[in-house]
Amino acid sequence: MLDSLLSLGGLVLLRDSVEWEGRSLLKALVKKSALCGEQVHILGCEVSEEEFREGFDSDINNRLVYHDFFRDPLNWSKTEEALPGGPLGALRAICKRTDPGPVTIALDSLSWLLLHLPCTTLCQALHAVSHQDACPGDSSPVGKVSVLGLLHEELHGPGPVGALSSLAQTEVTLGGTKGQASAHILCRRPRQRPTDQTQWFSILPDFSLDLQEGPSVESQPYSDPHIPPVDPTTHLTFNLHLSKKEREAKDSLILPFQFSSEKQQALLRPRPGQATSHIFYEPDAYDDLDQEDPDDDLDI
Amino acid sequence: MAAVATCGSGAGTTGSAVATASKSNVTSFQRRGPRASGTNDSGPRLVSIAGTRPSVRNGQLLVSTGLPALDQLLGGGLAIGTVLLIEEDKYNIYSPLLFKCFLAEGIVNGHTLLVASAKEDPANILQELPAPLLDDNSKKEFDEDVYNHKTPESNIKMKIAWRYQLLPKMEIGPVSSRFGHYYDASKRIPQELIEASNWHGFFLPEKISSTLKVEPCSLTPGYIKLLQFIQNIIYEEGFDGSNPQKKQRNVLRIGIQNLGSPLWGDDICCAENGSNSHSLTKFLYVLRGLLRTSLSACIITMPTHLIQNKTIIARVTNLSDTVIGLESFIGSERETNPLYKDYHGLIHIRQIPRLNNLICDESDVKDLAFKLKRKLFTIEVDFIS
Repeated sequence: MLDSLLSLGGLVLLRDSVEWEGRSLLKALVKKSALCGEQVHILGCEVSEEEFREGFDSDINNRLVYHDFFRDPLNWSKTEEALPGGPLGALRAICKRTDPGPVTIALDSLSWLLLHLPCTTLCQALHAVSHQDACPGDSSPVGKVSVLGLLHEELHGPGPVGALSSLAQTEVTLGGTKGQASAHILCRRPRQRPTDQTQWFSILPDFSLDLQEGPSVESQPYSDPHIPPVDPTTHLTFNLHLSKKEREAKDSLILPFQFSSEKQQALLRPRPGQATSHIFYEPDAYDDLDQEDPDDDLDI
Repeated sequence: MAAVATCGSGAGTTGSAVATASKSNVTSFQRRGPRASGTNDSGPRLVSIAGTRPSVRNGQLLVSTGLPALDQLLGGGLAIGTVLLIEEDKYNIYSPLLFKCFLAEGIVNGHTLLVASAKEDPANILQELPAPLLDDNSKKEFDEDVYNHKTPESNIKMKIAWRYQLLPKMEIGPVSSRFGHYYDASKRIPQELIEASNWHGFFLPEKISSTLKVEPCSLTPGYIKLLQFIQNIIYEEGFDGSNPQKKQRNVLRIGIQNLGSPLWGDDICCAENGSNSHSLTKFLYVLRGLLRTSLSACIITMPTHLIQNKTIIARVTNLSDTVIGLESFIGSERETNPLYKDYHGLIHIRQIPRLNNLICDESDVKDLAFKLKRKLFTIEVDFIS
């Protein structure tokens, strides 16, 4: 699941924390998509370009298109290379000039963007980028766009994190135990139930992804194995279950007004009109079918 | 507007009663004023628009919400001139279905639609509307669906209460073919129905440029544009009576999706005390004013689970007329609870309006659960809790 994250397209949110950092996973996913031949754009805001490119070999480094916003975020040096409009302008420019073919955009950090831009503007820009196939006036078929965003969830309150996760198609939360990293992947497909999965992994020094089994692999939808399913009949003061003997006795009981099944069906069937009325009579066990008139015995 | 029409209808019916009485010459009541001759006078007559009916309780003109079960819970339907607010469930799976059923009902009845969204193109939303179940098939498919999901215990024929065997599991009061329709969630609406309908779309990224300056304490630019758009449509097509409609009068159904989300430019989901925290409440106030003076009904879905400031939710609830909350079981511990295994979530009816009334039309049952079967969305009373 972790290796096919980018195949779905849309916004992929990588939520990391201080204990389990996410930049190495980001770089591993970037390397993977570069090796697949996709166009990869990086918006580097949080770390310098040298630090980001460290660990990649040269052919991958040649494929990455790096937009540097770390060295000069406010464009004070007024060079020609800096793209107008800051990071959002760069995002929109990537959208506009994309050739047919899948594109992966890695945002080095969404946290940096959230701290420097209003959250609503960022959400609107991300939505416009990741839903580019609905772009009007674009007759050429554009390949799918995947946006990988790294979010440090401890830096933000529940508001921005909730807003971004409602926009995201896939959300990967990093965690782990005892030195083993895990990724909890929540995949929201439109109009379908979200699926989630936990995948244990480790990142090798050359930033390739190594999927592991880990201490326990859970892939059930949101069920906690430690709590048994609630049985509602446990604490009742009356008995709801029938033993086999009791059930047999119940089935063999003759009810006082036992209609035969033909009579039941005849009464249940909706009839359009009733021409004649029928009398159904079934003799009871105690019925006396004697045809004699009991008044004959009277001696008057 | 609807209330005036029904008052007029009251006078109309008294007039006709008097007319019949005077024919038999047993009363001295005289009819006042010349009665309109012929049936083409639309003054004191009851407004008979396709797809609407007057409420039996307070005379309001009602439209169907697209789900007959929901209509029954709301007292017959949604009153014209009011807002139905749906609080979305956490993963936004079931609220779009209610939204689409409302719009599909408008198409089937021939109403004009106005679809506003910041997330999806309205043309795409209309393509995904569910197909209506036609009258002759609807009861059969509905029954089929009910019986397909019987649990093993209930397959045993009832021995004592055998007359209740054929009773449907859900109460669906009398549904005439003109008012509420059932929809099949697995099929799409036929293309010719969409093309035959009159609809207007508002897609926010197209309508707004990103370099608009926002003044504090005013509406977000997206909301301003949407209100102007709605007002234009109401005025141009004569839903408020300003341009006399030459054709038969019609109802405008407005659907606004994901209002309050950051894609509309509103930051109530992002921050607790944002700069535009009154924007949404002002929008609802102005929208309700527009609706009250026109023949329109509006459905709004709002992600209230993302709104950070709880007082805004309370204000939004007070500013809307009917409020329904959807709570799905996905991701919560109730999913594995065997009490809820048949259902997909709970429906909370948070508010029902008091329109020209002292009391509101509450239904007796408060524990309602919904489930989305393969085709139909049903609402049932949750007998367990």
